[in-house]
Amino acid sequence: MVRVKSRYLLCEINVSDRSNLLKLDDRAVAGAVRAAVARIHGDYGAALCSVRFCVKYLNAHTGTVFLRFPKGCYKLLWSALPFITSIESRGQIIPCFFNCLHVGGTMRTCQKFLIRYNTQQLHQMLPKCKNEEEKRQIREAILSCTLTGRNDETFEDELMSEEDGE
Amino acid sequence: MLKMFAPAVGFSTVAINYVFEPKAKKQEVPSPMPITELIGKLPMVQGHSCPIRVLNRLTVVMSEASHFRPNASEYRPFDLLAVQPTTEKLFHAACMLCDVDIICILVTERLPFFFKRAPINGSIDRGVVFEVSYASALRDITMRRYTITNAVCLMESCKGKNVILSSAAEKALELRGPYDIVNLGLLFGLSDTDSKEAVTSTCRAVLLHAEARKTASGIVYTMKSQQEVLRDTADSEAPAAKRPKST
Repeated sequence: MVRVKSRYLLCEINVSDRSNLLKLDDRAVAGAVRAAVARIHGDYGAALCSVRFCVKYLNAHTGTVFLRFPKGCYKLLWSALPFITSIESRGQIIPCFFNCLHVGGTMRTCQKFLIRYNTQQLHQMLPKCKNEEEKRQIREAILSCTLTGRNDETFEDELMSEEDGE
Repeated sequence: MLKMFAPAVGFSTVAINYVFEPKAKKQEVPSPMPITELIGKLPMVQGHSCPIRVLNRLTVVMSEASHFRPNASEYRPFDLLAVQPTTEKLFHAACMLCDVDIICILVTERLPFFFKRAPINGSIDRGVVFEVSYASALRDITMRRYTITNAVCLMESCKGKNVILSSAAEKALELRGPYDIVNLGLLFGLSDTDSKEAVTSTCRAVLLHAEARKTASGIVYTMKSQQEVLRDTADSEAPAAKRPKST
């Protein structure tokens, strides 16, 4: 028994109205996942959820969320995620759906994938820019996407850099 | 709106389904709207450099044998043909005889019949696939139970081969990403590899089957030729010595 292993699921929350994304917080997301697992898998699922499940990271600007599940039962809990149709946060019901992008064994691998994915998104945004200033900002953001010791990442639309500690 | 989410989530081909349920006599088959009218510019698929491909598909709900007429000319504008049989005899006929690509499995109510191995094996040989749709499972609890029951019954008889999972999504938020659907396949009783195939290679096989169905024995594909017009303009531009060969 060397190490306790978990699976980190990188999901993207898609909403129809982008301004609703900013109202999300990690407790609301955790509550929504727990409720969905209890609905689909009953008491067994609800019990599994309390082992090592938590929301490790939530980025409200892009809707990216890292969820941690125990390795032995992550597929079962993952199969309940498509059934989430809305998240309730601060009294408001936000209709959305979860889209899983990557499953990793550690936070670091998920983070590397997220940086590559965000770089791709920035590349796709480049032809849609309206003026030179935005193009310059996106090019700078693409060049500064690296995994440093303090885990810097860049956003897609606001182009601010955000620091995140593990 | 749906079309905006589909390429962002990672699908490279999308089919728009027109459900046709002939209740009255001589009801006309709906004709599909041209795709350029629905959305102007096709968005790019996430992670690829080509735009999304949009196809038209017709689903005929069969409650009698006369509802589906093979080789009818009204079916020509549709790229994919699907049939939804409601009784055992129709299911047998659809598996062995009907010239379709997809057979839809009822998910909104209890199956009135059991699946038998013989017609299912016959359809696997012909290349016809069975389709389970998951959008009704997302809406309602009883629908979810019927979906899982019917899907598990199907998987027992067909051993996981020739199955596709599709969303019958009516709103943008009823769509799910491909990895999520692969996981949903595990709930329906498919194994890991079968579930992944249900979303990727079997779907591509259906598209190829549909194209082959339109041709004559899979070799010749006829379409209106614009070659006559092109040849005339080429002749007038090229100098007399270098006339291109006519194809």
